[in-house]
Amino acid sequence: MSNEHSITFELNGAPTTVAIQVHENLRDVLRALGMFSVKFGSSDGETGAAAILFDGELASADVILAAQADGHKVTTVESINTERDLHPVQAAFAATGAIQSGYSAGAMILGTLALLEQNPDPTEADIRDMLSGILDRETAYVKPVEAVKRAAAVMRGEATEPFAPLIVQPMTDGTNSIEYDPTSPAPRASQAVPRLIPSRDVPEMAVVGHPEIKVDAVKLAKGNPAFTDDIELRGMLFAKLLTSPHAHANIVDIDDTAALALPGVHAVLHYKNTPRIKYASGGQSWPNPYPYDQVSFDTKVRHVGDRVAVVAAESVAIAEHAVSLIDVTYEVLPAIFDEHQAMLPGAPVIHDETDTTEIFDRDRNLVHQITAERGDVTKALADSSLVFEQTFRVHQVQQCPIEPHISIAWLDADERLVIRTATQVPFHTRRMVAPLLGLEVKDVRVIKPRIGGGFGAKQEMLLEDIVGHLAIATRRPVRLELTREEEFVSSRTRHPQTITYRTAVAPDGMLIAQDMYVLANTGPYGTHGMTVQTVTGLRGLTSYNAPNKRFHCDVVYTNIPVPGAYRGYGAPQAEFALEAHMEDIAAELGMDAIEFKRLNWAKVGSEMDIAPHLGERAVAEGELDEYPKVMSSGIEECVAQGMREVQWHRRDDPSWVQPADRPHIRRGIGFAFCMHGTAIPFLDMGGCSIKINDDGSFNMLVGATDLGTGADTVLGQIAAEVLGVALDDIKVYSSDTDMTPFDTGAYASSTTYISGTAVMKAAEVVRKRLKERAAMLLDVEIPCTIELRNKRAYAADGRSVSLEEIALDSLHTQEQEQIMGTASYVSQDCPPPFAAQFAEIEVDTETGQVTVTKLVMAVDCGVAINPITASGQVEGGMAQALGYAHCEEYDYDESGRMSNSSFGPYKIYRADEMPEMTVFLAQTMEDSGPFGAKAVAEIPKDGVAPAIRNAILNATGVAINEIPFTPERVWNALHTA
Amino acid sequence: MPLVAAYFRPDSLDEALSLLAGPHRIVLGGGTTINSDRQRSDVEVVDLQALGLDSIESSETELRIGATATLADVAGSDQVPDGLRAIARRESPSTLRTLATIGGLIASAHPDSVLLAALLVHGASVDLAGSEAMPLASVLAQGVPSQAIITAVRLDPTGVLCHAATGRTPADVPIVAAVARAGAGGISLALTGVAATPITVDPDDPVGGLAPPGDFRGSSGYRVELAGVLAARALGGLR
Ligand SMILES: Cc1cc2nc3c(=O)[nH]c(=O)nc-3n(C[C@H](O)[C@H](O)[C@H](O)COP(=O)(O)OP(=O)(O)OC[C@H]3O[C@@H](n4cnc5c(N)ncnc54)[C@H](O)[C@@H]3O)c2cc1C
Ligand code: FES
Repeated sequence: MSNEHSITFELNGAPTTVAIQVHENLRDVLRALGMFSVKFGSSDGETGAAAILFDGELASADVILAAQADGHKVTTVESINTERDLHPVQAAFAATGAIQSGYSAGAMILGTLALLEQNPDPTEADIRDMLSGILDRETAYVKPVEAVKRAAAVMRGEATEPFAPLIVQPMTDGTNSIEYDPTSPAPRASQAVPRLIPSRDVPEMAVVGHPEIKVDAVKLAKGNPAFTDDIELRGMLFAKLLTSPHAHANIVDIDDTAALALPGVHAVLHYKNTPRIKYASGGQSWPNPYPYDQVSFDTKVRHVGDRVAVVAAESVAIAEHAVSLIDVTYEVLPAIFDEHQAMLPGAPVIHDETDTTEIFDRDRNLVHQITAERGDVTKALADSSLVFEQTFRVHQVQQCPIEPHISIAWLDADERLVIRTATQVPFHTRRMVAPLLGLEVKDVRVIKPRIGGGFGAKQEMLLEDIVGHLAIATRRPVRLELTREEEFVSSRTRHPQTITYRTAVAPDGMLIAQDMYVLANTGPYGTHGMTVQTVTGLRGLTSYNAPNKRFHCDVVYTNIPVPGAYRGYGAPQAEFALEAHMEDIAAELGMDAIEFKRLNWAKVGSEMDIAPHLGERAVAEGELDEYPKVMSSGIEECVAQGMREVQWHRRDDPSWVQPADRPHIRRGIGFAFCMHGTAIPFLDMGGCSIKINDDGSFNMLVGATDLGTGADTVLGQIAAEVLGVALDDIKVYSSDTDMTPFDTGAYASSTTYISGTAVMKAAEVVRKRLKERAAMLLDVEIPCTIELRNKRAYAADGRSVSLEEIALDSLHTQEQEQIMGTASYVSQDCPPPFAAQFAEIEVDTETGQVTVTKLVMAVDCGVAINPITASGQVEGGMAQALGYAHCEEYDYDESGRMSNSSFGPYKIYRADEMPEMTVFLAQTMEDSGPFGAKAVAEIPKDGVAPAIRNAILNATGVAINEIPFTPERVWNALHTA
Repeated sequence: MPLVAAYFRPDSLDEALSLLAGPHRIVLGGGTTINSDRQRSDVEVVDLQALGLDSIESSETELRIGATATLADVAGSDQVPDGLRAIARRESPSTLRTLATIGGLIASAHPDSVLLAALLVHGASVDLAGSEAMPLASVLAQGVPSQAIITAVRLDPTGVLCHAATGRTPADVPIVAAVARAGAGGISLALTGVAATPITVDPDDPVGGLAPPGDFRGSSGYRVELAGVLAARALGGLR
């Protein structure tokens, strides 16, 4: 068979004949046949997002040639989508919260079908083995495993209980600590079940606080076309990037003649034919923080993977071929990768162009210098007899959304540019992309469909300018999707930092001063360089009270792939250093680490005094009358629950630490205190509009971007609670800059708190009008005496009218109007969630291999609007944090090329090797939040690395001050200790 | 993606061998390497799937695994001793082991393959069409003879197997692994991660003469260190 051919195979039971190109893989052919559940995650099959059943066995369609499938049986999840209702396996995934973004849901559901066909009663090990080829960055596999167990039970005909949290009685009075009791047994339940600790301040509600099934579960469980790539546009072209092979070089010339001459090529864009307009790519509020150090296509490249040119062609293969025909002449320059080298004399200047302004010290590659101080740190350190100094190093990792960046742009019938894109920030993107394309904001529409994970990588205007340029140049729809390798080197990563703390302590253990110096590596572009490090300072100096605090941060340019936003922002970096430092100070003082930390950690009433002096809207000393204070904290409950769950006393039992049957093993348990933020005060804003329909249901439009986090569901629950209806009566739509109100986007743990409050307010507007219309119908004089519940409006005397009757009356019968409400919200507060993170580990002292056996996180996130989605956030966050601590890292050769830009070499955890995880949600009532909520999405990123570090210390007596804890690094530490 | 410029699915070994004589022709096993990013050059592929080479047969003294048997087939076959099955299962995740073939595994000769190390200690030999059978160790060292096709691997399934490994995480591809076997002919030992392919070493001096290439997961010196520890553990596990 050569080149073109047709194959015949059985697709979901139907004989199918299709023409293929011989190089095509089965994934692409299936997608072209409308099997959109088969997703792209990587071309080496490692993500399993494209898993199908091949003759009944789970297999990655990425690495099957379409030609190989001739004569075989192929099954996708579409095979079970025969009716509106979900298949029992799909229903089990929906019921257990196993679907977050749902990008790989089809693969997992198929794997479950195949497993249960072979073995109706699989063990947990069987289930985890089945999932071992489907990588997930969202759920930590906890709820998918539960889903498979539940599906198995249902398929065996057994009755199942609704999946709900386990209510655990509080151990504390909510404020004070209690004595640890080693004999007290931890509550028992499947690890997927969140342990929910009620608070007496929290009233019982109808929808809020309940484990509602996600509003998008059906489409995701079915693999319905919902993601950016799941549309087909007539005449669509495919773009491919030419990226730099050099870490630092001037582009002397580009010759695109041969590429343009290739049949099927429609455009080749580069510095010669695109305008030079400066911008910063970080998706942030207007005005974007300086410097504006990027242009769409520059005359200089500053890291391997930097943009050089782009091609649009009739197919990906033609575009790839054309890219190889572009002739670029480089003048290669010396490069620097380490933040310590950047400011040395003689280091190459990375931004020597004159049109980038606002670089703090261009010649030293010093892009920002951030400082803030409370009190007098120099004096306090000088006056103190107990000063501790330590330096920590945290490294570069990637967000690794299983769906890489993808954008599709086209000109609509009105000649407006539409960009359908995997973004966390549709509104920022619209505002930022317009000037680069010579358009006004009104001529750009950005649509965010479902996203297959973002974690900050998509808080960026990354590809949208490119597809915009190409759509305008070709007047055709253009699609650009990054490969996995490009996702590693041409998108965004976490900032590496070197962090030094100097802490002065009084003999009684009270902190006197904390001085934090951070040398941060922002790669070659500023994007989030300033704001991420600001959060490092904020988090690094807010968790513990001290009268004197100082933050000094140098943010430098280097030639590594660009760091940007990554879930947790600068907090995981800071908290690794801080929790390690505090642990070691306690040991030096001869104090119990938790006691020492407790003495100093922020409590209700503590001032968060460094916060206002940092960040985009920093105020000067004396400008504020009052500092924000901690208003709610459930930390003592978290600590008590977590210690009991992890059986804290074992860390002091030599026979446990040093198991007799395995002489080379040492076991340990570590703790980290975590405090995060909820939204950026005075900056993050969300909007919402709600209107009633004829049947008494509502359409709700929000600008908030659900990345798989469950935001749409949680926001729907808030509206449903206010309006007295079921969640199913709220139809949530997000987000489209033409349709939905503005929202800053999904970042800074803000969606539930900020957008949630906007939803609550919009719903309250609607509720008020509903009561007034009900009062008209029921002849009640005082509308506010009416109550909404069960989709009806009740008068005090018990008479009622349905919302449908109100809707019909108001839309069609008398004094017609559209009952609707719009509201927006910006917060003055940033109420911190708190958490206690515990890790249990084993160290192999002969090899240095660390095995993490259990992670426990107890979080005070205020009121959990949906305990299932909230616990899913904690599990997934801990899994990413585990990768950060333990096994993920970038490796470069001496020229700055990443050597491990694929999964496997870049190691992310899979289902069959996860530690046990347990999540506690210790509720508090945060009065400033919607129904008492605070944030939950980012705090699970903060404590895992220091808890593991402190556990290794407990196990071996060796303190390791850099991550990740890979075998050789640990072995070296053990052997130099 | 490499550009697969032509696809052939021969019905007989003879046809396969004559197809392979063409330029840029290579054997397609499961395709997990060829169809992925790892294969960088353009090729024409000769798919072995129709040749019926996927059987797994055993007698008391010999186990014969056909070249197109997948790792999942090996892991799932009751003809295969438990130790080998477990290692075959660990070799690849669920979505790839159903595709990757034993022939492809051998031809790839990947230095980190624990299953190859296990085949080595089982004294495996490789049946080839278009060439004489060869010991597995020679195929790994010299590569598959040009234009030959692996048809099967044969090994002695008896004995006790024990292995020890160190990786970044429990299911990670080991940085170094040691596989030891006590069989009728005595004790044998093989290591991964210390040379260009998995190799057998002297159980009495497992690290003698090792000069492993290092990488970010393990420097050369650390790999030697691991080899010593893990060899001792694997050998110790036999007792
Ligand atoms: C941890 C790990 C990492 C790996 N990384 C790599 C890697 O980076 N590069 C790599 O090449 N492999 C790698 N491998 C090996 C590889 O992934 C598979 O184990 C093996 O290729 C699976 O076979 P396949 O049938 O899918 O091979 P295919 O992709 O079909 O073929 C792979 C190679 O084997 C040849 N081949 C296949 N069958 C036969 C046969 N019967 N006779 C002769 N030649 C044959 C092919 O021509 C091709 O050269 C790795 C393995 C492990 C365990
Ligand atoms: S407040 Fe207006 S009717 Fe009650």
